[in-house]
Amino acid sequence: MKILVCIKQVPDMESRFKPAADGLWFEETDLAWRMNEYDEYAVEQAVQLKEQLGSEPELTILSIGPDRVVEAIKKALAMGADKAAHIQDSASHHKDPWQIASIIAAYAKDNGFDLILTGMQSQDRGSAQVGVLVAELLGLSCATTLIGFSYDDGIVSAKRELEGGLKGLVTLQLPALVTCQLGLNVPRYPTLPNIMKAKKKEIQAIPVATLLSEQASAPTTGFYPPARKGGGIVLEGDVADLAQKLVAILKEKTTVVR
Amino acid sequence: MNFELSQDHKVLQDAVRDFVNKEIKPIAAQIDEEHHIPDALVAKMGEMGFLGSYLPEEYGGAGMDMLSYAIVIEEVSKACGSSGVLISAHTSLACGPIDTFGTEEQKKKWLPDLNTGRKIGCILLTEPDAGSDAGAITTTYRKEGNEYIVNGSKIFITNGGYLGTGVLFATSDKTLKHKGVSAFIIDLKTPGVSILKNENKMGIRGTYTTAFALDDVRIPAENLLGQEGKGFNIAMDTLNGGRVGIASQALGIAEGAFERALAYSKERKQFGKTISELQAIQFKLADMYARIETSKLITYKAAWMKDAHLNYMVESALCKMLASETATYVTKEAIQIHGGYGFICDYEVERMYRDAKITEIYEGTNEVQRVVISKALLG
Ligand SMILES: Cc1cc2nc3c(=O)[nH]c(=O)nc-3n(C[C@H](O)[C@H](O)[C@H](O)COP(=O)(O)OP(=O)(O)OC[C@H]3O[C@@H](n4cnc5c(N)ncnc54)[C@H](O)[C@@H]3O)c2cc1C
Repeated sequence: MKILVCIKQVPDMESRFKPAADGLWFEETDLAWRMNEYDEYAVEQAVQLKEQLGSEPELTILSIGPDRVVEAIKKALAMGADKAAHIQDSASHHKDPWQIASIIAAYAKDNGFDLILTGMQSQDRGSAQVGVLVAELLGLSCATTLIGFSYDDGIVSAKRELEGGLKGLVTLQLPALVTCQLGLNVPRYPTLPNIMKAKKKEIQAIPVATLLSEQASAPTTGFYPPARKGGGIVLEGDVADLAQKLVAILKEKTTVVR
Repeated sequence: MNFELSQDHKVLQDAVRDFVNKEIKPIAAQIDEEHHIPDALVAKMGEMGFLGSYLPEEYGGAGMDMLSYAIVIEEVSKACGSSGVLISAHTSLACGPIDTFGTEEQKKKWLPDLNTGRKIGCILLTEPDAGSDAGAITTTYRKEGNEYIVNGSKIFITNGGYLGTGVLFATSDKTLKHKGVSAFIIDLKTPGVSILKNENKMGIRGTYTTAFALDDVRIPAENLLGQEGKGFNIAMDTLNGGRVGIASQALGIAEGAFERALAYSKERKQFGKTISELQAIQFKLADMYARIETSKLITYKAAWMKDAHLNYMVESALCKMLASETATYVTKEAIQIHGGYGFICDYEVERMYRDAKITEIYEGTNEVQRVVISKALLG
């Protein structure tokens, strides 16, 4: 079995974000970077499947981006993946989900992956499109938002998170693609010995130009922080007066009082 | 020259941070209150490779470098100074000398259990009447057949209460002063070793600080570490490495307190604005940050020098001295920034203040570091 896990490196979400000069994305200097949290669950699930099948599957990690994304790749390798493809792209943050999915599909199509795992979405862009687009491009069966996963004899049984606390069960015949929700499993920590072992694993560097042929279908045209909130309204006067003013405001600005 | 961590060091730092935030930070106050690091946490740190980070893979270590070791202790100590020094004393002071001075047989026998945390290591040097003057120890040994018989006492032994593996210093003849000192590897479960007490103390309360009596303790001759009479050199070399560990612990404590003080200054409002808008507080933050950054540079440099096999005696003394004084300064100012709340246990900076002080004392007091540095300058 061949498994592919697609991961993205994203800024630490506690960073202070500033719009970049081009007004299309955030400024990258001074940010700390991490593996997209959703993707950690995807890596963990793949490693667990590999362990279940007695290490037989070959587990490949793919990440698109500049040199720094190798840090996320190395983490995934230290968690137990076998090898990786680094699609080198210093402008990946300007690509839309369609282009990213096309790049992944172009890499995957000749590699015969039986199972592809991605995060449900990225913490920074949050489009939740890449996984499903890759499945569509490769003609794979696909399930999203997994909170449970099991595999037996060519069939993936997936538990999906629906709205309002509901769950759904689906089965997928391989080849398939699943996108992973937070809480799917407990991602392991890369141990120090495994970080050392990961240094010896192969990371194939592939220039993005060799895989990209698509134009953006939904290019970003603006990026801005929310307008700063005003200082709030301070009401003054006697109690009856205050109550009336408050009710008036609630009627006007909210649906609490009708 | 390059001041950026390598990708591999960043991967390590990220992994350790993640572990610390989930496994240690939530129980750091509990560790202090209960005077105990849960055994389960020690075991997990062993599984993570924290207890043999820079030791060779062939003996169960992770095979990383000294800078990785510094990063591990720094990150752990940001949350918990007790856990930081457990790692430092164990790795630098027990695994370190066995790896550097041990024979192949000794390394094979003792290191795998230590490096994976199945046994916790310690160094037994200090005695009631021999602290800074380590050459004045009076614990004696004599050879009898295939064994050494040791008598005396040791105090203030970090990790001693685990009764794991120790590196013990004793003299054949105390009138020889440091020339009579030899080093031994000792299984602390050997008959004749008894715990007199585990000290109750101001800070790093999660660690054992143990006093031992040694009565006719029989140590197999094959446990002699290095040559007879060379023990003092082994102790000094060991402490060079250890000081990088303590500097990293101190640095981590300072960074932990700084993070909290910075965050608090942006939340706390007085006179209608956050206290971070007051220049008095801004200058404190600038001074704290300046000392942290300089301590970090010299600590990483000392680690890098050890990795490069350069003579790092002065840098190791410098980093221990500077980082420890940074830790006491920064934790004190962190409390000041918190005002009265800083004095209350719930806010954690008071624990960090208590944990910081010892870093100026152990592995050579800062007065002794100044002796080491000035001797090198003038000698
Ligand atoms: C919590 C804790 C953990 C410890 N862990 C260990 C351990 O694991 N293993 C171990 O062997 N020891 C350990 N120690 C012992 C520690 O290393 C010693 O306490 C330290 O070296 C100082 O020795 P002392 O306490 O005897 O002080 P002293 O040597 O009596 O010093 C008293 C004062 O005199 C100053 N002074 C002494 N000599 C000089 C000099 N030549 N020049 C200038 N000033 C001088 C000192 O700086 C200090 O201010 C630990 C101690 C503590 C408190």
